[in-house]
Amino acid sequence: MSDQVATAPAVDAASLTFDEALAELQRTVAELEQGGLALERSIELYERGVALHERCAGLLSQAELRVQRLVERAAGELVAVDARAEEQTD
Amino acid sequence: MSRSGPPQNEPLWGDIPMDEPAAPSDRSKPPDWALPAWDSLPVEELVAPRPPRQVPAGDSAPPSRPEHRAEPPRAEPLQPEPLRPEPPRAESPRAEPLRPEPAASFALRILQVSEITRAVRDAVRSEAGLRDLWVEGEVGRVTVSSAGHAYFTLKDERSQLACVFFRDDRLSSPFEPRTGLRVVVHGRIDVFESQGVYQLYVAAIQPAGFGDLALRFEALKAKLAAEGLFETARKRPLPDRPAVIGVATSATGAVWHDICHVVARRWPLARLVLSPCQVQGEGSAASVVAALDRLTRWGERCRADGRPEDAPAVVILARGGGSLEDLWSFNDERVVRAVVAHPVPVVCGVGHEVDVTLADFAADVRAPTPSAAAELVVPDRTEVAAVLRELVRRAGGCVAGVVAGAQAELGAEARALDRLQPSAQLAQARERAGYLLDRATRALRGEIGRRAETERRLASRLEPVLLAQLGWRRVALERSSAGLAALGPQATLNRGYAIVRRRSDSLIVRDPAEAPAGERLSVRLAKGEIGAIAAATAADPGPEVAPAPKRGSR
Repeated sequence: MSDQVATAPAVDAASLTFDEALAELQRTVAELEQGGLALERSIELYERGVALHERCAGLLSQAELRVQRLVERAAGELVAVDARAEEQTD
Repeated sequence: MSRSGPPQNEPLWGDIPMDEPAAPSDRSKPPDWALPAWDSLPVEELVAPRPPRQVPAGDSAPPSRPEHRAEPPRAEPLQPEPLRPEPPRAESPRAEPLRPEPAASFALRILQVSEITRAVRDAVRSEAGLRDLWVEGEVGRVTVSSAGHAYFTLKDERSQLACVFFRDDRLSSPFEPRTGLRVVVHGRIDVFESQGVYQLYVAAIQPAGFGDLALRFEALKAKLAAEGLFETARKRPLPDRPAVIGVATSATGAVWHDICHVVARRWPLARLVLSPCQVQGEGSAASVVAALDRLTRWGERCRADGRPEDAPAVVILARGGGSLEDLWSFNDERVVRAVVAHPVPVVCGVGHEVDVTLADFAADVRAPTPSAAAELVVPDRTEVAAVLRELVRRAGGCVAGVVAGAQAELGAEARALDRLQPSAQLAQARERAGYLLDRATRALRGEIGRRAETERRLASRLEPVLLAQLGWRRVALERSSAGLAALGPQATLNRGYAIVRRRSDSLIVRDPAEAPAGERLSVRLAKGEIGAIAAATAADPGPEVAPAPKRGSR
């Protein structure tokens, strides 16, 4: 949008972690609920909120559990090796 | 011989009358380990002839021939009837009383086998310490006769002991002897005369170590509680959505699989880091401590490497169900201290609901099972998704309110503008409003349309917000309209009046003297401006204002 009200440069929602996106979504809704906003600002915040929600929902539905196993090497050095949890399919 | 209706709870030494005065006798001297009952041991039992009480042949047999022991009797009467006669058995009529023969007298004549057996039996019976005893050992071979009596051996490294567990006692016992188990047996020793063997007649049997473990459990619990290790005040809250979860459990077996499954279903955004350990048997406590320590070190390492997000935020310590002994390593003091000292909150899920270990007390959160521990550690993604949708609904509701307010304002402005007729301004405002409304409609379409039912819920919440917004916008608008009306020269121009200025100095011409012939003038009309030149004095019957057809005309 060419005429966006000047605001903190928004990071692309798709690059946020779940927690980052959720925190920003909560801030956005709080700001909207506080009221007294210009129409442009309201819409802008709303559109941002929808993008943040899409990011969170996408992460929730697409995430796959990662499983690692700590292995102790000879010198006591620890390494986390990716492992597959047995029979995670069901 | 079958016993009908034997008393179940008679003391096994009940055949010894306890009211008999003790008499000095070697045999009546208790060994160090004897119970107090010894002191009242009736000497008469030892010294007086008495009817035979031995078990008839064929009633009881050594364990090697269980088929002959179909119905072994209890070897002693359970009633306190010391002299209760038993039916004479075929082989038992005796020519003389057996005891007390001084040992010397045995040496002087040839003895019968039964005399020796009887002497041994009486010697055994006179040892009060053998009448009521507890023995710990490992169960050897077990045979159960068709009548339901169990015969087994109890052994240690050096010796073994034949045991008889009669049917009624066995059936009322919660615990069965099984080969290989370590058990503690309560009962008495007696001689089975027909076979010339001594046996342990079992009254009760229980797994070895139970009482001992229970005592140690309570003692350690009291000690650690006194140190404050189980205080509620030192329990740490669990993180809401841990990104990394440490798991200390066995790498093989259902527990690890169950935890993976639960977390994959509920919160697949997390990462599990398994720190494998041995969860039962020799060395398991040390192994659990080592596993927790590895997780500690891993967390430190991640932070030191500048990736604190990889450090476990919470740890699950888990083990499946098992016997008290199986779970015992979770009562180990080292494990308890390792749980308490762990840098992140520990959720303990050991055994089943009913199993409680000291590690459970020490943990920040106790879960009834390993799967329950996994559920406690992560949120359910479907619930979180519902919370997220609710947030967006609320946002949509807010925007709907703002749009409604703006539309109301726009309507009022449009009416005011219509009155003033600045069409260019109006067109611009319409364009701007149209653009905003288009955008708002785009943004809201779908989100709001799909969620009418939520909107209704939201309406009550939003109403105050909405009304407040409408309120101040209306005030602002009224104020500006009134201002415009007061100032408005335009309204005058609209009625056909014009404003005449001198080009040279923009002075408004109020007097013909100010505009001599030839003066260049500028005439402001309602919808524009025209140039003019003053032509003549008022006396001249010429036009008041000379049209200057430079700009458009009406």
